[in-house]
Amino acid sequence: MSPGRILAIARRIAQGFRRDERTLGLMFVVPLVVTALLGWVLNEQVDAIVDVAIVNEAGEVGDRIVTAMEDAATETDSDITVAAALGPGGTPEAEAMVRDGRADLAIVIPADLLERVLAGERPTLTVITEGTDPAAEMGRFGTLQSIMANVAAELVPPGANPPVLPEVERRTIYLSPDASQADVLAPIFLGFFGYFFVFLLTGVSFLRERIGGTLERLLATPVTRFEIVTGYSLGFGIFATIQVIALTLFILNSVDVPAIGPLPPFSIGLGVDAAGSPLLAFAIALLLSLGAVNLGIFLSTFARTELQVIQFIPLVIVPQALLSGILWPTERLPDVLRAISDVLPLTYAVDGLREVMLKGSDLTSVAVQTDLAVLGGIALFFVVLASLTIKREVA
Amino acid sequence: MMTTTATTTPTAPEPAAVEAVGLRKQFGRIHAVDGVDLALAPGRIYGLLGPNGSGKTTLIRMLAGLARATGGEARILGTKMPSRPMLARIGYMPQAEALYPELSVGENLGFFASLLGRRDRAAIDGVLDLVELRDRKGTPALELSGGMRRRLSLACTLVHDPEVIFLDEPTVGVDPALRVQFWAHFRRLSAAGTTILVASHVMDEADRCDELVFMRDGRVIGRGTGAELRERAGTTDLEAAFLALSGLDAEGNPVAVREPAHGGDA
Repeated sequence: MSPGRILAIARRIAQGFRRDERTLGLMFVVPLVVTALLGWVLNEQVDAIVDVAIVNEAGEVGDRIVTAMEDAATETDSDITVAAALGPGGTPEAEAMVRDGRADLAIVIPADLLERVLAGERPTLTVITEGTDPAAEMGRFGTLQSIMANVAAELVPPGANPPVLPEVERRTIYLSPDASQADVLAPIFLGFFGYFFVFLLTGVSFLRERIGGTLERLLATPVTRFEIVTGYSLGFGIFATIQVIALTLFILNSVDVPAIGPLPPFSIGLGVDAAGSPLLAFAIALLLSLGAVNLGIFLSTFARTELQVIQFIPLVIVPQALLSGILWPTERLPDVLRAISDVLPLTYAVDGLREVMLKGSDLTSVAVQTDLAVLGGIALFFVVLASLTIKREVA
Repeated sequence: MMTTTATTTPTAPEPAAVEAVGLRKQFGRIHAVDGVDLALAPGRIYGLLGPNGSGKTTLIRMLAGLARATGGEARILGTKMPSRPMLARIGYMPQAEALYPELSVGENLGFFASLLGRRDRAAIDGVLDLVELRDRKGTPALELSGGMRRRLSLACTLVHDPEVIFLDEPTVGVDPALRVQFWAHFRRLSAAGTTILVASHVMDEADRCDELVFMRDGRVIGRGTGAELRERAGTTDLEAAFLALSGLDAEGNPVAVREPAHGGDA
C-alpha cells in the first residue's frame, strides 16, 4: 500500500471539485435552502382556521351548543369560524358545503341529544369531513375537540354540577414539552442529506471513471484496488466533511432575516440546541458517508450511464427514508420491514444522531457505541464490496 | 528464455522485451485471441495490424497486464504478466481518451505521474514540451481540441519513461503534421532502447514500423518487415499484402472457405 498513491487519488477528486463550482455551491446552498424552508414551515406554522358547518337536529337543546360554538368562534385567536348553522334536515346541504370547500367539516347534533343526556348516556355527534387528507383532517379534528371540551360545560343540565376534568401538565425527559418539529428532525437531516449527496456524487464520479477509460488507465499503473477505494473514500470524505459542517452550522445556528418588501421576516437555519457533542454527531455522519462513497462505487458497476445512477435513488434512498425511523418508529414496522430496517445504515445513523443531539448521549452510551460499531461495520462491508468490483479485468 | 515465434526474427539471439506463448483469451464462446506466439526484441517499433475485431486490443490488454489470459502466458522483460511492479515500467495508451475533463493539463499529467511514481517537475515539464502543451498546463482538458487531448493522453503514457510501450491506435484524430512529430519521437525512444508496439488499422503508418505483425480472427497470420511481407504476398502495397495473407481477394472477399470471423476489440 502506498500512501502517496492514495493521496494522489484524493487530491485528484478535490481538484475536480475545485473546478466544479456548481457542485461546490450546491454543498452550501442545499443545506441553506432546506433548513431555511424547514425552519420557516415548522417553527412558524400558521394555525389554519377551521370552517365548521353545524346541523342542529336537536332543536332548543342543540341551539345551546350552536350558540356556544358561535361564541367560541367570535373570540380573538379563535381557531374556528362557523360557516353555517343549519336546522333539522340540513345534512345534505352541510355535505355539499364540505364537498365544494365552503366548510372544512360539518357537525351533526343528533335529535336524541336531550334524551340521551337525561338518560345519563353520552350523546354522539357526527363529524363529516372530506376524507382525502388525513393529516390535515387530524389537525382540524384536534381543534374541534379542544373547542368541544369547552362547549361540554354548556351541556350540563341547569342546576347540576359540571363534570370535573383534571388538568394535564406535560413534562419531558429530553428537550422541552414545546420542542418544535424542527428540533426533532434536525438530527435526521444531518444524516440523510449527507448520505444522499455523497452517494450520488460518488456513483456518478466513479461511473465516469469506468466509461471514460480513466479507470483502465488507472489500472495500467501499479495502483491497487484497495488504494483506489481508500483514495476515493478520502477524497469524498473531504467533500462529506464540508457538507456535514455546513449542515451542522445551519442546524445549530440561525440567522433572522428581517422583512424585505412583501416578504415577511423569516430565519435561515434551525437554531436547534444540540444536547450532545456536535463532534460526535459529525463522526456519525462521516461514518455514514464513508459507507455511501463505497456503495456509490459498488453500484456504479451496474450502471451504464449517469441517468442510470440517478435511477438507483428510488432503490437506495427511498427505502432508507421510509424504513430508517425518520417517518415511523422502527419498532412499529411489520416484522419483514423491521428486518430490512435493521440492515440499513441510515437506521443506525438516525438513532445515533438522535441519541447525541437530542438526548445528549456521549461515547459512554451503549446505544451510541452500538450505532458507531454497526456503521463502521457497514462501511467496511461496502469498502470490500467496492474493491471487489474494481478488477484489472474490465472487459 | 525460449523463443517461440511463428516466423523467424532477424534479431533472434537477444532476449525478448515482450513475449507471448500460446496466449489465449476467450469471452464465453468467442475466442478473441486464439493462441498467439510472439517475441518482440528490445528497442524496436512493431506495428500490430488487422481489421476491427481481429483481437489487437485484447492482445495488447493482456500484454499490458489489464486482462487475464485464459490460456498461455505473457511476459514483459522476462516477468510473467499480470505483475503489478512491472506496470511501472510499461506505458499504455488506451484507445479512449481516458483523461479527467475537469482537471487541467498539468493536473491530469501530475495525477498519472504520481501513480506511476514519477512526480518530479522535470519529468512532467519534459513530456509537456514533447507534446507541445507546456503553455496549456493550466487549461482544463475539457477546453482542449481533440488533437490536443490526444497529445495529452500520449504524455500521460510516456511521463514515467517506460521501457515497453503499448499504443492502441495513438494517432486517431491526429493531424498529419502532428502524426509526423509523434513518429519522430517514437523513433527517438526506440533508439534509446524502448520497445514499442503500435496497434493500428491505418496501413500508411505501418511502413514507419521496424516490423509488422498481421492479425486476423485472433491469430497472427503474418510477421516480418514491410518489404518481406510484400514480397511474400507478391504485391507492391501493404494493403494487398494483408489481404493476400488473410486469404482474401482484392475486393476483400474470402478466396477459400473459412470459419466465420469472431472475436472483438473488447
